Amino acid sequence: MRIVVCVKQVPATTDAKIDPETKRIVREGTKAVLNPFDLYAVEEALRIRERCGGEVVALSMGPENAKNVLVEALSMGADRAVLLSGRGFAGSDTWATSYALAKAIERLGGADLIICGKQAVDGDTAQVGPGIAAKLDIMQAANVSSVDDICPDSITVSRMNETGYDVLKLRFPALITVLKDINVPRIPTLRNARKARAAEIAIWSPEDIGAEPDKIGLNASPTRVVKTEPPAVRAGASVRICAAPSEAAKALTEELFRRGLIRADVREESV
Amino acid sequence: MKIIDEFDRRSYRNVWTVSECAGGDIHPVSYELLGKARELAAAGGCEVWTVVLGSGFSEHPDALYAYGADVIVAVDDARMRAFNDELECHVLERLVEKYRPEIVLCAATSRGRALIPRLASRIHTGLTADCTGLAIDPDSGNLLQTRPAFGGNIMATIKCTDHRPQMATVRPKVMPMPSPEPGRTGRLIRESILASDTLNIKEILRSVGRQESTVNLSDARIIVAGGRAMKGPDGFRLLEAFAKQLGGAVGASRAAVDNGWIAYPHQIGQTGATVQADVYIACGISGQIQHLVGMQSCKTIVAIDIDDTTPMMKLADISVKGDLFELIPEIMKEIKKGAAL
Amino acid sequence: MTPINDRIRPAGFHVELIPPKQDSQKLEDDLGLFASKFERVMESGFTASITDNAMGLLAFQGHECIEELGLRARPDQVLIHLNTFHTKEDLDGILSACEKLGIRSILAISGDGSPRLPKLRPSDVEAKDTASVTSVELTRYIRQHYPAFTVGVAFNPYEPEAHEFEKLKRKLDAGASFVITQPIIDRNAVTDRLLSEYPGLPVFIEAWMSKKLFLLSDVVGYPIPEDAAFDPVATLGQLREYYPSCGMYLSLLGFKTQYTVIEEMAAGAARRAT
Repeated sequence: MRIVVCVKQVPATTDAKIDPETKRIVREGTKAVLNPFDLYAVEEALRIRERCGGEVVALSMGPENAKNVLVEALSMGADRAVLLSGRGFAGSDTWATSYALAKAIERLGGADLIICGKQAVDGDTAQVGPGIAAKLDIMQAANVSSVDDICPDSITVSRMNETGYDVLKLRFPALITVLKDINVPRIPTLRNARKARAAEIAIWSPEDIGAEPDKIGLNASPTRVVKTEPPAVRAGASVRICAAPSEAAKALTEELFRRGLIRADVREESV
Repeated sequence: MKIIDEFDRRSYRNVWTVSECAGGDIHPVSYELLGKARELAAAGGCEVWTVVLGSGFSEHPDALYAYGADVIVAVDDARMRAFNDELECHVLERLVEKYRPEIVLCAATSRGRALIPRLASRIHTGLTADCTGLAIDPDSGNLLQTRPAFGGNIMATIKCTDHRPQMATVRPKVMPMPSPEPGRTGRLIRESILASDTLNIKEILRSVGRQESTVNLSDARIIVAGGRAMKGPDGFRLLEAFAKQLGGAVGASRAAVDNGWIAYPHQIGQTGATVQADVYIACGISGQIQHLVGMQSCKTIVAIDIDDTTPMMKLADISVKGDLFELIPEIMKEIKKGAAL
Repeated sequence: MTPINDRIRPAGFHVELIPPKQDSQKLEDDLGLFASKFERVMESGFTASITDNAMGLLAFQGHECIEELGLRARPDQVLIHLNTFHTKEDLDGILSACEKLGIRSILAISGDGSPRLPKLRPSDVEAKDTASVTSVELTRYIRQHYPAFTVGVAFNPYEPEAHEFEKLKRKLDAGASFVITQPIIDRNAVTDRLLSEYPGLPVFIEAWMSKKLFLLSDVVGYPIPEDAAFDPVATLGQLREYYPSCGMYLSLLGFKTQYTVIEEMAAGAARRAT
């Protein structure tokens, strides 16, 4: 069984910088980390391997230093890692990223199961997982909260929605995206961390994965960021209360009642 | 689909919404989408179409007309009782190729966020997730899609100029609910599932409703949320009592959840829930951007903290400076007094 | 100085060591540095006090470093910190590994969380009637299931006094048998009260060995006024005079600049004692 887990390097949020020309996030010089949601994907892949055998391949696309997030996946226990890197991939949106990752998975000889995190915290789009499944034309389940059963040819999972969950049976090859609830990601042991740092990480170019040049990078990306601006700022405190606790409490309560924010029916419930 | 030439571009017409239907009921976000679609259609001089995929809804489509649909494309089939990504994607792909909409809007619900990226990937077009603003560019006629990016640090405006349809998702409660026009009607087009749509689709073994209503932050009118300054689980017990008195729900910052004082479903912010309550009472939450993105669209923000220099205290509509453990019991007393009046 | 506990070595210092971070870009170098510090502490007859993901920053575990680097841990000279941010499996793994290494002392603390660190659940440590695991429940669990360990706990003289003493009592009732204070930089009334209320209890005073007092403010959670003239070594000397019955716990010790001075200080004390 081959499990491919897709991981992404994301900038640590507070260091965000935007390139005024490309309107894209500048990744150079900012602290980069493994997308927090991807930890759960790596952990779930390892658990499935521990149950069923096989190998876990960590796959990422990004600049050379995105190797670091693959080192983290290897430290947790992935068997090997592949990074898609090269000028041709630069500027990819979610469509072009899905295409490249799908081509890389084909180049690996396919996968029985592909696992992604719920979304990446920099873009928050949650598009790449379903995008890969679409490119490979395989079954998908997003927002998986538990893996309930695995057979040689299928996986049964619970998928959360707003009102409950569905239990789904997907035939391999399949792709799932996982939620935080699914597991508790392990902390790498020192032994694995040392091994991972010494491991060879394959770097594949667009040619290596047989990508069509017009389907990768900026030119293949249907979306363009045309403008970025700071978010509108809220007006801020119109009422500031600073007094002894009983006075302050009285002032706040009066203000809430006056604005109709606490309603009579709520008051009655509280009696 | 990539646009070949001007003739090709003009062949895409109308604004579509993908309505959401569960157990025969139309999800309210579908009406919010129709409100926005009407606006866009007015700017583009075209019709609003809505696609409904589901089971048992098509007896009563009138509300969709009342909220703005000119045309309903209905696929009513028991096989779509629960959401099946592959099946719905196949059907939509066929419909989009057949009718060639210029714009497709879909709810950023758990279903929409799984279905629409798959569709966009299949038909090679652009998709912008979680838009907070949608408008037609008066010069080019393209859809301007604005969304928060990078944890809300920036607002990015995105265009999809050379591919059609232009697709966007919108979170529930982000667009205003339009007023319905009773008696408004339109055309109904019935489509069905083809054998080719059912190839390679997953099996849905069962659908389970949540047993008890656990934490429902997204529907709460009042949220009382605590941060690091609540100091421990005891602090959150105080907030629970406060929230209960107000008929509200308890939220938390990541710091509080990471420290194990309250469970993850209560977390609000970038890696937790996004909420749009009428009143948000932030207790000892400093207001890091990752938290703010999850709650800044609440209507009234009240902040209580000993430190009045924090971002949360600055952006709040009402800020109260003081010791939380003294203030909250006093506030609860005052509310009870107010109730006795 | 009189021995305060046969397991705890007063003749000398506890030296805090922080293992390499999980995200280290030069792990082998960091490990080398850790090993050399550790060995130096062993040679001096001091105690290496090894932190557990201090400040919620992910680091490797002390026992792993000792095992993996083949360091010789002298049983009475190692104190392992253990906080409440672990899975049950990891908790038992750490305790068993420490037992195998012959380590005898554990410092049980609540610790700092991070998104990456799982929190122990009450059921993991067989705790009832509590929503959250603190050092109290952790101490009780260790004493019950790993009785070979002597367990120490923290005491924060900066917190509201009544609350802190009440917490200390619960920690001691749970089986703790020594105490390490948060860093103080002068004679401290709350610490004085601790010593007079618990005359037989071994207490270690944490001395802040960095000149950067603002960092200390972050650690204790209360503002410590910045003092440009703050001299850590001189302050340590004073604390030893104020608190002759206490051990000294050194955090952020500068090995290059301060270590020799500290060794001489300890040797002087040993000479005076004989």
